[in-house]
Amino acid sequence: ITRVKINELKPLKPRYEVPDVLIRDPPTEPLSVLSQDESGVVLSLGAESQRVIVSVRPFRLDIMEGHDVLMSLNSRGLLAFEHLRMRKDTGAQYTLVVFDFQATKEEEEKAEEGMWEETFKSHSDSKPNGPSSISLDFSFPGVEHVYGIPEHADDLKLKTTDNGDPYRLFNLDVFQYELYNPMALYGAVPVMLAHNAQRTTGIFWLNAAETWVDISSNTAGKTVFGKMLDYVQGSSEIPQTDVRWISESGIIDVFIMLGPTPKHVFSQYASLTGTQSFPPLASLGYHQCRWNYNDQEDVRSVDAGFDEYDIPYDFIWLDIEHTDGKRYFTWDPHKFATPKEMLQGLLDKKRKMVAIVDPHIKIDSNYKIHNEIRSRGFYVKNKDGGDYEGWCWPGNAGYPDFTRADMRAWWASMFAYDQYEGSMENLYTWNDMNEPSVFNGPEVTMHKDAVHGDWENRDVHNIYGLYVQMATAEGLVQRSGGVERPFVLTRAFFAGSQRYGAVWTGDNAAEWDHLKISIPMCLSLGLVGISFCGADVGGFFKSPTPELLVRWYQTGAYQPFFRAHAHLDTPRREPWLFGPENTALIREAIRQRYTFLPYWYQQFYHAYRTGEPVMRPLWVEYTQDPATFAVDDEFLIGQNLLVHPVTEEGARGVTAYLPGKEEVWFDIHTFQKHNGAQNLYIPVTMSSIPVFQRGGSIIPRKMRVRRSSSCMEHDPYTLYAALNARGVAEGELYMDDGHTFNYEKKEFIHRRLSFSNNVLSSVNLVPDSHFTTNSWIERIVLIGSSKPAKVTLKTADGIESQLEFDFDASMSVVTVRKPGMNAGADWTVTLE
Amino acid sequence: NKMLSSEMWIHILAIALFCCGSADSRKVRGISSSYKRFYREKKSFLCIDGSKLIPFEQVNDDYCDCADGSDEPGTSACPHGRFYCTNLGFRPHYIPSSRVNDGICDCCDASDEYNSHARCQNTCWNLGQRERAYVEGQMRTLDEGLRLKQQLIEEGVLLWREKQAQLRELQQVAEDLQIKLEEHRRKKREADRFKEQTLRALKGGDGGKSFHLKNKTLGGILICLFCNPYSISLDEVKAEVVPVHDEERHLGDDEAMVLTTTESAKTNRTLTCVLAHLLNTNKKFTVQGIKKVSFCWVLICDLQKKLAIDYGTDWEFLFLNGQCYKLKVYEYMYTLCPFNHITQKSTAGTEVSLGLWGMWAEPAKNRYNQMIYENGEPCWQGGSRSTTVTLTCGTETALRSVKEPSKCQYIMDFQTPVACQPVLKQRGVHSEL
Repeated sequence: ITRVKINELKPLKPRYEVPDVLIRDPPTEPLSVLSQDESGVVLSLGAESQRVIVSVRPFRLDIMEGHDVLMSLNSRGLLAFEHLRMRKDTGAQYTLVVFDFQATKEEEEKAEEGMWEETFKSHSDSKPNGPSSISLDFSFPGVEHVYGIPEHADDLKLKTTDNGDPYRLFNLDVFQYELYNPMALYGAVPVMLAHNAQRTTGIFWLNAAETWVDISSNTAGKTVFGKMLDYVQGSSEIPQTDVRWISESGIIDVFIMLGPTPKHVFSQYASLTGTQSFPPLASLGYHQCRWNYNDQEDVRSVDAGFDEYDIPYDFIWLDIEHTDGKRYFTWDPHKFATPKEMLQGLLDKKRKMVAIVDPHIKIDSNYKIHNEIRSRGFYVKNKDGGDYEGWCWPGNAGYPDFTRADMRAWWASMFAYDQYEGSMENLYTWNDMNEPSVFNGPEVTMHKDAVHGDWENRDVHNIYGLYVQMATAEGLVQRSGGVERPFVLTRAFFAGSQRYGAVWTGDNAAEWDHLKISIPMCLSLGLVGISFCGADVGGFFKSPTPELLVRWYQTGAYQPFFRAHAHLDTPRREPWLFGPENTALIREAIRQRYTFLPYWYQQFYHAYRTGEPVMRPLWVEYTQDPATFAVDDEFLIGQNLLVHPVTEEGARGVTAYLPGKEEVWFDIHTFQKHNGAQNLYIPVTMSSIPVFQRGGSIIPRKMRVRRSSSCMEHDPYTLYAALNARGVAEGELYMDDGHTFNYEKKEFIHRRLSFSNNVLSSVNLVPDSHFTTNSWIERIVLIGSSKPAKVTLKTADGIESQLEFDFDASMSVVTVRKPGMNAGADWTVTLE
Repeated sequence: NKMLSSEMWIHILAIALFCCGSADSRKVRGISSSYKRFYREKKSFLCIDGSKLIPFEQVNDDYCDCADGSDEPGTSACPHGRFYCTNLGFRPHYIPSSRVNDGICDCCDASDEYNSHARCQNTCWNLGQRERAYVEGQMRTLDEGLRLKQQLIEEGVLLWREKQAQLRELQQVAEDLQIKLEEHRRKKREADRFKEQTLRALKGGDGGKSFHLKNKTLGGILICLFCNPYSISLDEVKAEVVPVHDEERHLGDDEAMVLTTTESAKTNRTLTCVLAHLLNTNKKFTVQGIKKVSFCWVLICDLQKKLAIDYGTDWEFLFLNGQCYKLKVYEYMYTLCPFNHITQKSTAGTEVSLGLWGMWAEPAKNRYNQMIYENGEPCWQGGSRSTTVTLTCGTETALRSVKEPSKCQYIMDFQTPVACQPVLKQRGVHSEL
């Protein structure tokens, strides 16, 4: 990783450098000078044959490996740095320090309109520090595909922005957002990945101010025919993607991640900002949400509905109406008079609840939270030094200054059971509106000249939401004495937010295009570290047709965060309200989710360990296959499951691309085998969810779907081993208590399962781990296997026993009946 | 009721004896006595759907062999299996297999958690007692409700006849009045025609406007006015008629007719016009006369509308029309006026319509179970407020609960003796032990 940091040598006042995002000061290595002359210097980047050429006039950096330029900085000369200056027109003393990398001659500063004050609609921005923006360009030779910089409701592969607005990163509460559009949404992660068949690289632009990213490409306009013509005519033009980043304030602080593979980039980025927090197992189950479940009786009857219709769920959610007049941390005294009784009722069924806690605080002298924040001076200030006030759900509200560590510590303490009345250990938290949303603010957010300690909102804007979730998650950890894992959902996020919980794609709509866009939106987030992503199942605004709702459940069941949600003004849409057929379809989708929970959990453990995304684009695994580079209507979960949800109305079939020349893929429902590197047409009915298991993988599942994930804790496993062309398969089995941090003390079982030479074995991956389980192996399904004469189990103590099995000749599937060994033990099963 | 419960006790005793009598054969967990015949201990077990023959040791061995789940009635192994809770002392029932040993007590006899950490108590006896007390209460309510219902039916029949008689009487009066009106009109028209002919003769022009609506009666006009959904109340008629008396304005027949048949027919102004016309064209028709005829029609329309509603097979719901029932829920006062309208009034005092009488919903079971009120106050995001009222059996007629599960869609629970159904009596604690 190469870090390029550009700041003013002597700024009039310090410029904001984003704290709390990097998990530690990145360790540095000295660069060695390879060669040097007056025009520049060549530095070795340590590893491999990588080096950086620093050219002085014009200033540019070229990062090379061998003879290839991997990335160039400022090759287009778009480096700009608006240094801080004294205001001229007020007659203040004026000193000018200009340093221009392009030309040495001093430029006379011209006072331009908007330098010291701007207006937007009826809002004005006082800009006391004047212009302060920064910019830098990057070129990726040989690259046609760039990804990342969420959050945008757009395709996975970023588009060129030559003919329109750049991609904008500025956390905003957007009402009914538009699709296929570079406009800013709720969160911002200024990380971009560039990929071609040889290499993946990344840029992390550590800046929390409003940021714009322009993308252009020398091949973007060309048709396939045009490209072919180039080839035929021997045109030597190398494809290249150029990007330009612009931020309104702060400094240039860029991390260049050189890969070379996507997984290297993930781990490089993770080494900077950390990995996905390991969520409680239950949070990977199904979440039932609505704005709003009206009262305790409503909660009770919805909960009972799930039992009546035999549909599992883990969390039921309460939106803002549960509070006493939108005062967070409180309960409506009539509708939720006895919250502990309600929570106990859920606990009795091993279920949980999430209640919303937003960061806008009702200004009301009878409200404890407000009084404490005000008396401690914890509110964000307006430009004149008073408490910043804005309009939000409770009416007039203050915004706690979450950028302050002392404020966050106090906020966290409010989640203690004795502070948050009516809370219990099965109550978790949802942070909404943390862009922050200010109904009467410019673009429905905070004024840029609002003050957070030494900084303006202009400087810290995009990180505010991260801090809210950070403080809330810390509160949930602390209330349990550091024992229990938190679960916090956030709408706004920034680089590093993956460390604090889950995100969702905000207020989408019950439209087919919104269902489709949920895939690239979550894929983009996964690429920049945020794996725990989901979209409101069913769509937030408007009302889905039963068909759309069913398809959304089927899609959501295979996305990381699986929550149905609906707007207050929409009719009810609990899974059983659309007739028995649709109820059955939704039940089946949710049940499939629950059978795969061991796999999901293992994937999240892996994401926590490595920073690799759980839900990932095909190109991450099939880096050399250009056919995968722009695919975003299907995705992988880990390496082993390929999902192509049906997202078209009235679909009779879908065409899925099955990647990998060497691969075989098995339909998880029928076990039918398909070869890789082909477009496969799959006829579908309303019950179809096209999902494939990669040949060569072993996936542990729990087939006894119960009321909630906790009810399935001790259940036995079924191992689905799908053999590849060489008759080999590998997988992992991970389990722990599902809810505490004890996994950090190696209280888990992590085993490698492998099948080769007709022997399936389970070996301990972490010999010094310690955890015991009652779960056992109830079934082994060998997909793509020939018929054995006998199947023998050998346990750790050397005892052998014959196992019964079935053989399905049509699909070549051996089902081994009840091998029965403990899931944490060493064993082998041999086919003869 | 006493009879019923003592009968049940005999039943339970008999089962208890039966259980003990067959105690020597191995107990298969999770099946009801009626299924015992499938599980007689033999060498092998045939899945109940006949799909597979398995060794008998594989019954309840915690591995699912039968597609129908029949080999694992007592474990959680089969995805679609079911477990029979005997629940001695209470109601036996099936639970999904997935609830066996999941750490949650489902069967009141604790039989589903035979191998879990859950410490379940046998609560069947208490539940049974509570259930029996409840059912007894329900039975008493039902008996009383049915008795009250019978009264209300009788009253309803009388009320119905009374209303019918009233209607006939009114119709007669109206008819008489109309005939008189017709007579006056005819005379007037003759006079007019004479005048017109005279005029035409004088002018020598053609006929002018044709008289295309001449066959319509004035009664028709009035029906048109009164029976439309925006009908004018009697008070309004009165209010209008008085100022009209002095009005000098004279309208032609066509004009009045046309007005009444257009949209503006719904406005008071038209009525004024028609009445003015009547007054001006029939000097002998006094204000009193008009009042009488319009009043009749108001009543007729009202009655007709009222009697057109389906009040049940015995007109048992008729008495509800004209009554209103109130219930306060949190900060709102709800008022249900059956067959008319529903309103919600906030403590701030604003009243909002939650719907006007629409129809009986038609669920398969009971025709007179749910009322639909629709077209209430419009909602912010389109549509209008509506309410579904579910009728339940009770000894009193009262509004019991109001909920708004989705925005602008209300549901009410309305209790009344007339909702009591004799069929209910068939149910109760029929233990299938």
